[in-house]
Amino acid sequence: MSERQPEMHERRILGTELLWSFGVGVLIAATLSIIVFTALTMGINPPSNVERIDPKALHLSGEFAEHNLGTSVAADGSVTARIIATQFMFVPRCIALPHGRPVTLRFAAPDVIHGILITGTNVNTMVVPGFVAQVHTQFTRSGDLLMPCHEYCGLGHSEMWATVQVLPEGAFQPDRDGRVSCAQR
Amino acid sequence: MRNVERLCLAHFWVAFAAFLVAALLGAWQMWVRSPLGANVGTPSQYFLSVTAHGVAMAYVLTTFFIMGFGYFVAVTALARPLPGKAWAWGAFWVAIAGVVLAVATILTGQASVLFTFYPPLTASPWFYIGLVLVVIASWVWCVLMLVAMQAWKRENPGRPVPLAMFATVANAVMWLWTTVGLAVELLFQVIPAAFGFIQTIDVGLARTLFSWTLHAIVYFWLIPAYIAFYTMVPRAAGGRLYSDTMGRLTFILFLVYSLPVGMHHLLMDPEHGNGTKFIQVLLTAFVSVPTLLTIFTITASLEIAGRLRGGRGLFGWIAALPWERPMVLATGLSFVMLGFGGFGGLINMGYGMNAMVHNTSWVTAHFHLIFGGSVVIMYFAIAYEIWPRLTGREYPSLASLRLQLWLWFIGMMVMTLPWHWLGLQGQWRRVANFNYADPIIAGWGPWVIVSLGGGLVLLASALLFVGNLFALHRSAAMAVARPLYALAVHPPQRVPAALNGFGLWNVLVLVLMLMAYGWPIAQFVIEPSPAAIVHRVE
Amino acid sequence: MHPDEPSAADSPFEVADEVDEVALAAVMRHVPLGAGVLAGAAVALLVLGYLLIYLLVFLPRGTVG
Repeated sequence: MSERQPEMHERRILGTELLWSFGVGVLIAATLSIIVFTALTMGINPPSNVERIDPKALHLSGEFAEHNLGTSVAADGSVTARIIATQFMFVPRCIALPHGRPVTLRFAAPDVIHGILITGTNVNTMVVPGFVAQVHTQFTRSGDLLMPCHEYCGLGHSEMWATVQVLPEGAFQPDRDGRVSCAQR
Repeated sequence: MRNVERLCLAHFWVAFAAFLVAALLGAWQMWVRSPLGANVGTPSQYFLSVTAHGVAMAYVLTTFFIMGFGYFVAVTALARPLPGKAWAWGAFWVAIAGVVLAVATILTGQASVLFTFYPPLTASPWFYIGLVLVVIASWVWCVLMLVAMQAWKRENPGRPVPLAMFATVANAVMWLWTTVGLAVELLFQVIPAAFGFIQTIDVGLARTLFSWTLHAIVYFWLIPAYIAFYTMVPRAAGGRLYSDTMGRLTFILFLVYSLPVGMHHLLMDPEHGNGTKFIQVLLTAFVSVPTLLTIFTITASLEIAGRLRGGRGLFGWIAALPWERPMVLATGLSFVMLGFGGFGGLINMGYGMNAMVHNTSWVTAHFHLIFGGSVVIMYFAIAYEIWPRLTGREYPSLASLRLQLWLWFIGMMVMTLPWHWLGLQGQWRRVANFNYADPIIAGWGPWVIVSLGGGLVLLASALLFVGNLFALHRSAAMAVARPLYALAVHPPQRVPAALNGFGLWNVLVLVLMLMAYGWPIAQFVIEPSPAAIVHRVE
Repeated sequence: MHPDEPSAADSPFEVADEVDEVALAAVMRHVPLGAGVLAGAAVALLVLGYLLIYLLVFLPRGTVG
C-alpha cells in the first residue's frame, strides 16, 4: 500500500460517514417539521395546560365539587366534562360527549397518580395530584368507548375504568342546567 | 485477566440469576392476564410479581452485568490489572445487601409499587434503601473505571484510549450524571415520606426528577451492547471496524444527549408546558443520531468482513458472513429488533403523537423489544464470547448457543408485535386482569394469547441461556487463547483530546441539562406544587 | 497462584488480526456501498412507516391539545 492511500482511505471513510449523517439529518429534520407544522396549524400538542389545584381540597373547590362533575354545556355552547380520578374509580363513571364538536375534558385526582386514555381516540393524559389535567379534542366517530385508568395507582388499578358515550348531535341534549348525562342503555 | 475472573463471574451470575427469575415471573404474568389465566392470581400477587420482574430486569440484571463487563474491559482492553479490586468487591457486597433488602420488601408485599415507584404511592422505606445501596455500589464502579483509564493514560501518554474502555468510561460518566435525578428524588422526597418524616410530597417535582434518570438509564443499559458492536463484532466477523473515530463520536453523543431528554416520558403530564416538552423532543431527535450512525458504521464493518470472505455485488457480502458465530448471529438479530423497536420509539417521541400510545401496550412492546430484544441479546452474545476466558473452558459446540439466540429473537418478536397492535386498540398497561366479556376487550383476547406464546418461547430461551453458561463451567475442552477486540481499518495513532477524554463533554452536559431541566425543576423549588398526601400501597 | 499479570494475548495493540492489508485495500473500494443501500433502505422504511401511521392512524383519531 502506498503512503498516500491510508490517508485517502481515512478521509474517504469520514466522508462517507458525513454523507450518511447528512442524509440522516435531513430525515430527522423532515420528521420534526411535520411535528412543528401540525402543532402550529392544527393545534396538535401534548395536553399541556399547567394549572395547579390542591388535591386535599378537591371536594371543596367550586369546579370539582361533586354536583359539578360530568358534562356541561356553557352558555356560549362550549362543552366541558369534569372528572375526578380516585382510587379506584372515576366520578362520574359514564361521560356523555358530542361527536364532531370541540370538547374539553378536565381531570383532577385527590390521591395518587392516575392516567386516562379513551380507546380509539387521541385523548390521553396523566392525572397528577396537584394539577388539573386538561385535554381538548374533537371526536371523529360516535360510539361507546372505554376510558380506563392507565397508570398504576394501587392494587385496584385493574378495575378502574369509565365509559364514554360519544353521541351523535341529535342525541346530545343538555338539560335545563346545561348538563348532559349518559343515555340509559 | 487472572485477577478479575471471579469478580466478573460473581457479577454475571447474580445478573443472570435475577434474569432467570424475572423471566419466570414474566411468563406467569402474561398467562394470568390472558384469557387462559383469567381466574388465576390475585392483584396483590400480580403487582408483587410485576415489581419483582421490573426491579430484577431493570436494576439487577443490568447494573450487575454492566459492572462485571466493565471490570472485564478495564483489564483486557487496557492490559493492566484492575486498580482498587478490594473496592470492587466491597461494592459488590453492598449491592448484594441492597438487592436482598429490596427483594425482601417486595416478596413480603410491602413494595408493590413497580420499578418506577411513582409517589405518592409509597412502599416500605427499606425497598428504596435497597435500591440506593445498589446505586452507591455502581458509583464505586464508576470511580474505578475512571481511575483505571487515568492510570493507563499516565502510563501511555499521547496514545488513544482503547475504544472499548473509552466507551465504558463514557458510560460510567453518563451514569454518574443519570443517577442524580433518582438519588435526589429518593433521598429528599420518597425515603423521608416512606419513613413518615413527612406526610405530603410534591408529586410534580418527583415525577420530573425521576424522568431525569428514566431515559438516560436505558442508554446506560444500551452502551455495553454498542461496545460489543464496535469492538467485538468486527473481529468476530473476521473484518475491521469501519471507523474508530465514529465509534468515539457515538459514545460521546450518547453521553451528551441521553440526559436532557427525559421529559419525553412526561409528554402527557400536566405539570409541564409545551415549551419544555418541545425542547426535549428536539433533543430526543438528536439522541437518535448516534444510533443511526452506528447502524451505518457497523453495517459497513460487516460489509468489510463479508467482502473479505468473498461476498460480491451489492448484497452478496451478507450471506458470506460467518453467521454460525454467536456474536455475528446476535448482531444480525439485534439489528432487526432495533429496526422495529426504533420505529416504536420514533412514534413515542412524536410530541402530540405520543397521545396515541402513552401508557398503552405499545409502550410495553417498545421497551421489551428494544431493551429486552436488541440490547439483551447482545448481553447474551457478550457473555458467550467472554465466558471461555472467564472459565478457561471451551464450548463443545456452538449449536445450542445459536438455538438460544434464535429462540430469543422469535419469542421477542412474537410477544411484542401483537402488543403494538393492541396498544393502538387502546389496551392499557399494568393490569392484573382484563374483563374479556367487554365487547371492546374481547377482541384483544386472541392477540394476548399469541403474545403469551412468544413469552413462553422467551422463557425457554432464558433457561437455555443459563444452561449454556452452566455447561461451559463443566466442559472438558480447554479454552484456546483468542483475541477479542477488533482493529479499525485505520487504527488511530493519535486522537484529539476531545475524543480521548470527557472534560469538554461534561461541560456540554451541564449546559444542556440547565437548558432542558433547569426551569422544570427550579419552578418546583421556587413554588412547590400543591402537596399530595403520602399513600401506602398495602 | 498465578501472578496478577494479564497475558499479552489481552492487549489489543500487540495482536494483529488475520486481515490481509492488500485484500482489505481491494475490499475498501466497494465498501460502504452495500451498507449504505441496506442501512439507507431500512431508515427510509422507518420514516415511511412513521408518515403512514401519522397520516392514516393518528390524524383520523381527532385533534389533541
